[in-house]
Order: sequence, then C-alpha cells, then structure tokens
Amino acid sequence: MKLRVQYTAQLRTAVGRTEDEVELPEGSSLAALVEHLAAQLDDAAAGHLVGPGGGIRPSLLVVVNEAAAPAHAVATTSLQDGDVVLLLPPIAGG
Amino acid sequence: MTPAELTPDELKRYQWQLWVRDFGQEGQRRLKGASVLVSRIGGVGGSAALHLAAAGVGRLVIAHAGNLRLDDLNRQTLMTTDWIGKPRVESAERRLRELNPLVEIETVAENVSEANAAGLVARADLVVAAAPLFTERLLLNREAVRQRKPLVDCAMYDLEGRVMVVLPGQTACLACLYPEPPANWKREFPVFSAVSSTVGSLAAMEAIKLIARIGSASGGLAGRLLTFDLRDMSFRTIAIARRADCSVCGDLRS
Ligand SMILES: [Zn+2]
Repeated sequence: MKLRVQYTAQLRTAVGRTEDEVELPEGSSLAALVEHLAAQLDDAAAGHLVGPGGGIRPSLLVVVNEAAAPAHAVATTSLQDGDVVLLLPPIAGG
Repeated sequence: MTPAELTPDELKRYQWQLWVRDFGQEGQRRLKGASVLVSRIGGVGGSAALHLAAAGVGRLVIAHAGNLRLDDLNRQTLMTTDWIGKPRVESAERRLRELNPLVEIETVAENVSEANAAGLVARADLVVAAAPLFTERLLLNREAVRQRKPLVDCAMYDLEGRVMVVLPGQTACLACLYPEPPANWKREFPVFSAVSSTVGSLAAMEAIKLIARIGSASGGLAGRLLTFDLRDMSFRTIAIARRADCSVCGDLRS
C-alpha cells in the first residue's frame, strides 16, 4: 500500500522536504511506519521520531487523515492504502 | 473577577469593539475585571500582551527575565532599539502603557521556574504560555491545572504556528499532548515577527473569548490544537484527547 507522509516544523527542516510517498505491506501499523521512516532518514531527522532506545517519541503528535492517533494506540493502529500521515514534533517557539 | 462598571472614557476608547456581536458592555466589563499572566513577552507573548492591553484587560502580569539584545528586535515588537542592554519587561511595560494607560501592568523580571510558577499563576485568572522552553510551559500547565485556570498555549517555528486552549478537568492539558519534555527542542528557532505576532494575536483572541464569554464553547480551541503553516496558508484544527494516564490532569474531574 502507498501512504503519504507529511513533515512539519524541525522535522521538515531536518528531512529537507515537505512530504514523502512510502510503500509498506498492507495493514502495517503506525509504529511500523515510524520505524521504517526512522531507518530511512538520517540521524537528525530520525531523532525527532524515535528516542535513543528506539521507541516512538511520546511527544510526537501523529495525525492520520486529520485525526490525532491516540498515543497508546500507535502500535496497534493499522494504516490503509492512501492514508495521509502528518507528523508534528513538539514546538515551543515564543 | 467582578465585572466592573465602565467609565465614559472607557466607553469611548472601546467603542469599536463594543459593536462586536456577543460582546458589548457586559463583555467589556468582564475584560476589565480580569487578570492575565503572559509568560515571556517576546515575539509571541509580546503580541498577545499588546492585543490584550488594547482590548482593555484589567490587569496584565508580564514575566520575562533578562536584558534586551539587538537580535531580539526582529520579532519582540514591545521592545525599542534605545532599550538594548536594559530589562525587557521595562520596555514592554512602557509600550503597553503608551497604548492603554487604563490597564494595570505588573512586571516580573523573571522567567517561570519551580520557585515562582504557583505564585505567578495565582495572580491571574487566565494564563498565556509563550516561553521558548518546554520546561517553563509544562510548569505553567501544571500550575494552571492545579489552580483550575484556563491556559492558552501558543508556539511557533519557522512559518508554522500552533495554539491550544487548556480547560483543566475538561480538556486535554499540555502534558496530555507532550507527556515528556521534548529532548531535542532548541531554544533558538527560525522566526519572522509576522509569524510570531500571528500566533500571539490568535492566543489573545482565544483569551478574550474565554474571559468575555464570546462564542460557543465548541467554537474555540479548547481541547483542539490549531496548527497552521503560512508557507502554504494551510490551517487545520486537530482534536486532542485527554490521556487517562496524564501525570498532570489524569485524576482531575470536570
Ligand atoms: Zn493532561
């Protein structure tokens, strides 16, 4: 299945582009997508997605088709072909 | 906050906003009777404070440590070039007074810390969080939740902005959204004043709506994160659910 992944804020700066199209096996979970991205991207970008231990950063907001994915369900949420996944790392510019 | 009577001078000064639907003299009296804490009065908080002062909030408590630097001036619009090297809160206070001498301004030349957070929040009816550090924002959030006071969190990066309103016990709090202080946030960030001021203006409008009770409860950003990108002028709101395991508001009932 094909997914559209959109980057924002420091993540977009680190990745150097606004979005990617990602191909993953049918029914892959949100966690699988984030792990896939972390493996593809360089360390600076991956650091916004996963912590030093490898788990998804708890303060990364993941939005699937305009709805926030509950943090506790990231591992179990399955994605579908055509889903748009927006990744928002925390920002605090004042 | 007791709605105070309006003087003829106030009726004239605020005449154009008294025409706003759902607002009127009742709303203006509520603003006059209210106190708002603005944590840091840089690019975002300075803009929020300016609009709250113009609107006639009775008392503003502005907290920001340190002296003005040349590289603050691209965005900190309450500052003046002649004040470089002098306390930021003094420049901000002067500018706010010049705009509206009817507003009481309390200055605190400190940033939010474990030592002063509870006391600062206790001085206000509503909190605007605009510090460039998560530790300060999360401290304010914790105290606002503890004291059951609404908090408007407003942040920016590059051409992007985000605003969320926390109603303790009713909506998600900042710790529901950010359960851990983010490890890789840098205090220095890319910013145009036009972006930070937009975020501050939106935050001021949310504060005014909450205090004056304009609009419906669902119309504002309570429990909803507004996120926008001025590069492509996209604006969206995302509902943020409370976390049952939130360390700050998990036990709180409405
Ligand atoms: Zn919470």
